[in-house]
Amino acid sequence: MIPLLLLLVVQTPAAPPAPKLPAPDAGAFRVLIIPDMEGMGSAVDIHEVIAWNEGEQYRTLTSDDYWQRFRGLLTQEVNAAIAGARTGGARSFVVNEGHGGNMFANVLPWDLDTAAILVRGFPKPLVMITGIDSTVGTLIFTGAHAGAGKPGVLSHNFAFDAFTVNGTTLNEVGINALIASEYGVAVSMVSGDDELIRETRAILGNDFVGIVTKYAVGRMAAITFSPTRVRRMLQDSAAVAVRRAMSGAFKPYRLPKPYRVEFTLRRSYPDMVVQGVDSLHWQGLEKTGDRSYRLVTSDARQMGYLLDAIERVVLH
Amino acid sequence: MIALLAAALLQQPQQSPQAPPRDSTPPEAYYGVTEWREARAKLEPLMDRRGFTVYIIGDMEGLAAAVRNGTEMRPVPRGGGQDHERFRAELTDEINAVIAGARAAGATQFVVNEGHGGTLFRNALLERLDSEAILIRGYPKPIVMSTGLNPQVDAIFIVGAHANAGTPGIISHSFAFDSFTVNGRVLNEAGIAAFIGGEMGVPLVLASGDQVLTAETREMLGPIETVTTKLAMSRSAGAGYAPAHVHGELQAAAMRAVRRVKTGELKPLRLSRPYQVRFCMRATYDPWFVGQVRALKGLRADGGDRCFAYTTPSAEDVGDLLNRIEWIVLKP
Repeated sequence: MIPLLLLLVVQTPAAPPAPKLPAPDAGAFRVLIIPDMEGMGSAVDIHEVIAWNEGEQYRTLTSDDYWQRFRGLLTQEVNAAIAGARTGGARSFVVNEGHGGNMFANVLPWDLDTAAILVRGFPKPLVMITGIDSTVGTLIFTGAHAGAGKPGVLSHNFAFDAFTVNGTTLNEVGINALIASEYGVAVSMVSGDDELIRETRAILGNDFVGIVTKYAVGRMAAITFSPTRVRRMLQDSAAVAVRRAMSGAFKPYRLPKPYRVEFTLRRSYPDMVVQGVDSLHWQGLEKTGDRSYRLVTSDARQMGYLLDAIERVVLH
Repeated sequence: MIALLAAALLQQPQQSPQAPPRDSTPPEAYYGVTEWREARAKLEPLMDRRGFTVYIIGDMEGLAAAVRNGTEMRPVPRGGGQDHERFRAELTDEINAVIAGARAAGATQFVVNEGHGGTLFRNALLERLDSEAILIRGYPKPIVMSTGLNPQVDAIFIVGAHANAGTPGIISHSFAFDSFTVNGRVLNEAGIAAFIGGEMGVPLVLASGDQVLTAETREMLGPIETVTTKLAMSRSAGAGYAPAHVHGELQAAAMRAVRRVKTGELKPLRLSRPYQVRFCMRATYDPWFVGQVRALKGLRADGGDRCFAYTTPSAEDVGDLLNRIEWIVLKP
């Protein structure tokens, strides 16, 4: 099967090493902001966070301008968080697109605060936490959503119906916080619906500054505040969060090593996705059920790289 | 991180090529249809207890100048037209007008609940709406037109309302029904909202729409404030007042309504318990929908194969039943 082998070789060239982002100026405190869309102010419906051109199933029901409008609102939310962080003392801002719709290209680069470095596109290393390294002073998540199967607006968790580390269920914020802990970086602020904030408190504890952007009353319905009011909350809270972060008030999210990572791929996925994950032949990945797997590792980044690979299978 | 969520969400069951898509997901299986207690428990703590809170239901058929369901009431991908965007702005402006009037009379807090299904309850323009207002949007949501309603609310308004099913009003209808009564009283959608609010002591005090809607609502609820936005000539034609004129009328009526609530002149609608509810599903619905409704708990057949009776001591329970029926006919 030499031709097939060759094909495989051709199709999977060695990825170039990811460039390191330029370090902040000496003494400048860096904030890594990860904006997602499901938990942002006002958003309740899938068409508001997914572009109409991403497949036949998104073409229905509503105008194609919905996502466009929400991109603008998203960008303004990020700007509000940056403005607040600046007031709090931060001087370096990295924004890493955390929303997979439109392949991680939702923020409007022309409207974003010009001091920010924006990481956009897919694939990118460590997906939601691309850009993490020891130059990051603190992490801010905006627009985050509750985990799979939870009663939150558009709740889900990457590609999984279940995801635990050492038996603790982690949502997307929890997973990324654990990866960041490998660099000693802590989460200082999280915004999303009330269900997301409640569940993230159960994972990370009560230290971080939490902002309830809306109260979920359905999977696609919520009690919402005006964009102006949400931006004001984000700005005020980011100032507080960064000030506290600079005084060392937040501790990285740590779990005992080695990590026992266990997950189940979504029931709703076609078998093709399961076969795709199986054919990764990921080192150390054990299959424990139909769609369930286990990885034991002492480095949370390894978990992150596996998530990358799975995300790539799924988004194909 | 999402792309796939939708794949799961919008997945259609396998079906034969002849049968139209039928989604029989029961109401309890989808978060947001039946959780009215939770919705109320979430909104109530946000209410300004010392101030005066107005709960505004925003529908669209009764907006100034609106006449055509096909083009004006829903967006292009749901079979509508470009004019829908104009009427989203009109809806937002009419809501802003009643907020301005109510505020001038001393109201301090405003909850806006999206009441129009054409865009699955996402019509008001977010950046145009009064920025102090709380907005309840999306579908499904519990007790769809009265989501989160609670006794801390001081008054209910409904703008852009339409006349009851079977009347000569513009785009007249009532939820999924050809008729709907409680204890023998005919209630339109505004009346049903008044009934649910009334039980918890909250009066519905302002309704706007065409002359058929304003007349029938005063007949149901007494001399509340009404604003006639247009005069219906058929179900899809009417003589309309200028939107700017209507905004002024709405503002003035909202001011009077809040004053009349404060003086105790306008009272909640209270009906005697247990409530005897009777309704007939729209004759235009395919029997499959009626069959799904028939399977709901607590309903009794009540003459004809589309008509049902239901008895309950709780108005919110009636609202929940309506919502389960909406879910059957309106599932996204």
